[in-house]
Amino acid sequence: MPKKSVREMSALERKHYSLEARVFHTAMLGSIILGVVSLLIGLGLYVYALAGQYIGEAFGLSSSTSVVVNAVADTESLSKEVMTIYHGLSDEERADPESEAYHARFAQIEQREDYQYLLSVLRTFRDSGNVYDLYIAVYDKETSALVYIADPEENEDYACPVGYWESVGQDEIDKFLNWNGEGKLYDIGNTDKYGWMCTAGVPLKTASGDITCFVLSDVTLDGLIHGARMFALQFFIATLIVMVVFALLLVRHMKKTIVRPINAIADAAESYASDKRSGADVNDHFAKLNIRTGDEIENLSLVMDDMERDLLEHEKDLTKITAEKERISTELSLATKIQADMLPNIYPAFPERPEFDIYAAMDPAKEVGGDFYDFFLVDDDHLCMVMADVSGKGVPAALFMMASKIILQNNAMLGKSPAQILTDTNAAICSNNREEMFVTVWLGILELSTGKLTAANAGHEYPVMRKANGQFELVKDKHGFVIGGMDGLRYKEYELQMEPGSKLFLYTDGVPEATDANQELFGTERMLEALNKDASATPEEILKQVRCAVDGFVNEAEQFDDLTMLCLEYKGGEQYGA
Amino acid sequence: MLNIIKTINNGNVIFALEGRLDTTTAPELDQELKNSLDGVTTLIIDMKDLVYISSAGLRILLSAQKIMNKQGKMMIRNANETVMEIFEVTGFSDILTIE
Repeated sequence: MPKKSVREMSALERKHYSLEARVFHTAMLGSIILGVVSLLIGLGLYVYALAGQYIGEAFGLSSSTSVVVNAVADTESLSKEVMTIYHGLSDEERADPESEAYHARFAQIEQREDYQYLLSVLRTFRDSGNVYDLYIAVYDKETSALVYIADPEENEDYACPVGYWESVGQDEIDKFLNWNGEGKLYDIGNTDKYGWMCTAGVPLKTASGDITCFVLSDVTLDGLIHGARMFALQFFIATLIVMVVFALLLVRHMKKTIVRPINAIADAAESYASDKRSGADVNDHFAKLNIRTGDEIENLSLVMDDMERDLLEHEKDLTKITAEKERISTELSLATKIQADMLPNIYPAFPERPEFDIYAAMDPAKEVGGDFYDFFLVDDDHLCMVMADVSGKGVPAALFMMASKIILQNNAMLGKSPAQILTDTNAAICSNNREEMFVTVWLGILELSTGKLTAANAGHEYPVMRKANGQFELVKDKHGFVIGGMDGLRYKEYELQMEPGSKLFLYTDGVPEATDANQELFGTERMLEALNKDASATPEEILKQVRCAVDGFVNEAEQFDDLTMLCLEYKGGEQYGA
Repeated sequence: MLNIIKTINNGNVIFALEGRLDTTTAPELDQELKNSLDGVTTLIIDMKDLVYISSAGLRILLSAQKIMNKQGKMMIRNANETVMEIFEVTGFSDILTIE
């Protein structure tokens, strides 16, 4: 489907505000990316700071507790006793740390006085700090478990009595057991039982430096996570509002500084085109826009304004040139008409003369041509016929043709012989022929009473003659030089006898030199063939036959020379009883 | 279409014509001749590849012949049958030197 022009589009199809929409989308997209990035950074900082505070608190509590516990209880022996029982159990016996049976195996430890005291100390410390739990436990690498030694939790659902174990990851165990004492020791994990939790701890060691157990404090991070979520939500809503407002403001600005001026220019261009079509005389479509954006768009409107003025100038010039061309063309066609009218062109030409029938035609290749024919009665008994071709074409040839025709006729009317007519005409033309134009002329005078044809040829094509009941044949007459070519020439004449039924055919080189698309010439052979197709036809029909044959031959190719022909049929004079 | 190939040889100017010499192409040859006949004593026009000559072309030859009559000589060479026939019909064969 061919692309529609803007003019053909409906209001809906036209892109009036897509630039605005594009700016809105771009602004929104940019703000979203910016918002997400700053949200991530903000959230990261928030979590990092708060988590750091939580961890510090938990770690500090563990540290201070660790200093005290050794004074109230022998954690080393306590741990050793618990772990001895723990390791003494088979995998099956150890399988369910929640069972009563499992719990019973550690009952003796709960009886120890220092154990109970330890619990109360831990409880006191726990309540003093902001932690979820504070307890003592052993990381057992062998079974990947955290074995509880002392946990002061009162809530039975969460309490971890002595000997109770939880499986923990190998990473966490390695981290705690291999701690080098620098920074804070902690681990963050998410479990079904406790949710997000941070465990910070300090190891208790024997005199030789072996780790016996850890004082661990748990801080729940659920509050932190919740806070982060709330923060993200609030931040997101705030950002969204800000960016929508920002995008709307940007769009408003764009609309004012870009979209509206561009639409105004487009509308001006459209009304310019429609005014031109309807012929309205408005010439300030772009000048009256008055766009003052101070940027490329103002520049564009100025350029369009310049263009409108230039086009107006151009249009005026064009109108002038067109008018001039039209005048020349009118004059040329008038010249063609005058030229055609100069030649005898009313048929039958001599209805009152039964002795002969004559027909001639001229088809110029350009508006005006250089060919001409002529025939006129010199007196009652003498018919003069002329066939001529001026060198070149167009107006110069036509002017020269006019002069030649008049000089020839004037000389002929004086009753001169054909040779004398040509000689005198040549002298007249040569006396003032600076352009060195020339004309080929065949001129014959037929004595109507006897059929005697006297003719002279100044460089013109061979005439064609048909004897009564015979065929058309070329008459290879004697040729003189063209008229106007050289001063002081004398022409010779010859005689031919015509009988009733004889025909004479005259033509210019446009006939034999008609050329087809393959640059082949029509030639005299084809011309004779066309003439002899029906040699007995009337002069008018014979001309039609030749014309037809030439047209058929030339076919697609353009006619580049004039086609001028004349045919005379002699029907007999007094001598033949006419 | 007309191609004009001009060669200068010891004061002899040779114009080799190729194509058709008619109303459209004659002004081209006219210009070429006008520009190059100063002081030329022998002008040779080679028509080996000239297929057609119209009356406008004959006019150019006539002008050249008239100029050369005053300052030297002009010769026509290798005219083909069609061109030769045109020279004869128009009487140009009498005033041109045809070799």
